[in-house]
Amino acid sequence: MRASLRRILAIGSKEFIHIRRDPRILILVLVVPLVELLLFAYAISFNVTDVPTVVLDGDKTQTSREFITNFEASDFFKVTSHIDSLSDIDDAFVASEAGVAVVVKPGFSRALDRGEQGQVAVFIDGSSPNTAQFAQAYSTALTNKLGAEVTVEYMQRSGVDPTQAGGIDSYLRTWYNPERRSADFLVPGLIVVIIMIVTVQQTAVTLVREREQGTFEQLTVSPMRRGELMLGKITPWVAIGVIDMIAIAALGVWLFDVPMRGDVFTFLLAIFLFVLCCLAIGLIVSARASSLESANIAALLIAFLPAFMLSNFVFPLYSLPAVLQWISYLFPARYMVAIARSVMLKGAGMEVLWPQVLALGVYAAVSLTIATLMYARRA
Amino acid sequence: MSLSRIRLLMWKEFLQLKRDRLLLPLLLIMPLLYLVMFGYVVGVDINNIPTAIVDQDRTPASRALGEAFTTSGFFDVTEYPPDEQSIQPLMDGNRIQAALLIPPGFERSLERGDRVVVTMIVDGTDSKTASVASSYTQQIVLDANQTMLQEMGLSSNAIGIDSHIRVLYNPSLRNVNAMIPALGAFIFMMIIMAIMSQAVVRERERGTLEQMFVTPITRTEYLLGKITPYLILASIQVTFVLVLGMVWFDVPFYGNVLVIGTGLLLFAFSAIGLALAISMVSKTRQQAQQTLMFILLPTMVLSGFIFPIESMPDPVVPLTYLIPLRYIIIVLRDNWMKGAGFDILWPEMLALAGFSVVFFVLALARFHKRLTD
Repeated sequence: MRASLRRILAIGSKEFIHIRRDPRILILVLVVPLVELLLFAYAISFNVTDVPTVVLDGDKTQTSREFITNFEASDFFKVTSHIDSLSDIDDAFVASEAGVAVVVKPGFSRALDRGEQGQVAVFIDGSSPNTAQFAQAYSTALTNKLGAEVTVEYMQRSGVDPTQAGGIDSYLRTWYNPERRSADFLVPGLIVVIIMIVTVQQTAVTLVREREQGTFEQLTVSPMRRGELMLGKITPWVAIGVIDMIAIAALGVWLFDVPMRGDVFTFLLAIFLFVLCCLAIGLIVSARASSLESANIAALLIAFLPAFMLSNFVFPLYSLPAVLQWISYLFPARYMVAIARSVMLKGAGMEVLWPQVLALGVYAAVSLTIATLMYARRA
Repeated sequence: MSLSRIRLLMWKEFLQLKRDRLLLPLLLIMPLLYLVMFGYVVGVDINNIPTAIVDQDRTPASRALGEAFTTSGFFDVTEYPPDEQSIQPLMDGNRIQAALLIPPGFERSLERGDRVVVTMIVDGTDSKTASVASSYTQQIVLDANQTMLQEMGLSSNAIGIDSHIRVLYNPSLRNVNAMIPALGAFIFMMIIMAIMSQAVVRERERGTLEQMFVTPITRTEYLLGKITPYLILASIQVTFVLVLGMVWFDVPFYGNVLVIGTGLLLFAFSAIGLALAISMVSKTRQQAQQTLMFILLPTMVLSGFIFPIESMPDPVVPLTYLIPLRYIIIVLRDNWMKGAGFDILWPEMLALAGFSVVFFVLALARFHKRLTD
């Protein structure tokens, strides 16, 4: 047992020397995650404002101008120019100079005066679906509201009290993150994504490199057992990964005011297990890969795609086809994102999160075993 | 310049590619994986939000409102807890992300002609779902009110404002329609950069670069021979992905193949130039790989590929102009979806050409220095 521990430590310190010899890697591994956190947390936002809007006022009356003022006053639309013909809309859209066009048809004010319907049209450029969805919702809401005002006014003029009719009001409460800050949403998930990308990549090349440099044979004739080699290989990276992850989490809390409401111990335990899972995945890649290039590409695919896409990080899992939802259970990222978010934002602890923590523990054990077995077969 | 030398070098690269048991299959699988992931995950429209309904009224009217939420397709009602207190554990445990609360006396108030308040609770930890859920709620409640008004004979069609809201180019507002064109550019970049950034470093690591330069081959020939095989491979894959994506996800095409081809070619040069520059400044393949990752993530985030540039805070927006992918995505989307031609897209094309020149000059300058020292 003690001999075994010594061998593991020997490999571990050998790996440390490798890392120390290539200081650029260390800098990249420690600095890049922080830069990425800043970049993501600052750049990603889901709020849309100031959508460039062109206006075609075919009525040119006091009433139509009032109608357009409502669009100008809204934060969402930003009226950039007034146009004269419908074909200008196409030009503005194709050149991406406008995302919305509001058209008031001739006879708008006359129709309203007579108690008929005034005609307006709103055109939306659908080639940016995200903006277009918001534009659709906002313009529907805005015209509905204005329409209701006109209706109420007209009813009152004709002596009907519209408040007689009952109706439903909806009242919205947002829990955990009442201002719906993007940073609160993104940072816990980002910690997971960034660490997964950094760590899988590192161990994915380690065995391949030994093979390419011919030191692999030397390792196999040493008294080292497979499992010991594996543990030794990942020891330094466990340390680096855990430190990395804590640093990013701390930066998120300190710089972006993301709360840390829950149980820190659960969080740390989960981080440790998650880093183990990532490193084991890297080792599996490394055991199968035929060259550094293929190890790199495979690691990129295995680390990046599931962590980014199938972890609930930004893209909600419940909207996905069932098959992809099942596949998401095969990668550790989804458990860790759930843990990070629940601990940081919801104040959850082990009593709620034990299934996810357990899943990570089982995952780490199984994947490390698989890596060892696969490596043994290759050797 | 000798064509036969270039051909020989290309042959060597192809042989190397073929000999790597895993590399070629990986390069072939990668675009398909991206297609599935981006088409189904990033291109997905939010619906089926896991929801609980707490109906404290239990009358036909309250059930009708619940029904409106269930059948909307936006909400997937999975839980019917008896009271408000049972919502918190469900939301803490990530079982639901939205909860609708219908108060007792809902039907009675409506019949009396009073206003009645229903509460929607959304999980703010997922701010995107929260925003979407709240706008869906408003929409459903608005519809319900309209129906009630009509039942009372107060049709809203006679007076007011008749607004037609039309979405052009992508009327169904499907995300995937904008995703597939951009995906072509992204995959193109991934393949070129993943291989090219390693190409020269590998030769240097193994010492074959020196051997290469005692042969009569010139620098230009060497680069051409290195680049061409992967450019061909990447072009075939991009064409494949775009066509497959178009057919599989039923994406309409209003563009012009010539414009798209020109844009992609210009973009390819900038990607190759950047990859070579990385290759030149890296001592080992590991470093090249890390540098590549360092560049890829900002590219993903800032290019407008997944996260719309128009949503970014103002100080971040100028940074997006430094990302070549930004320009090609504009070219592809605007041409593909709206049919914009050279007359409109020339500034983007010019920017891409500019990037290519800068990156190549950088790479060649380093290349020269490397050889002399």
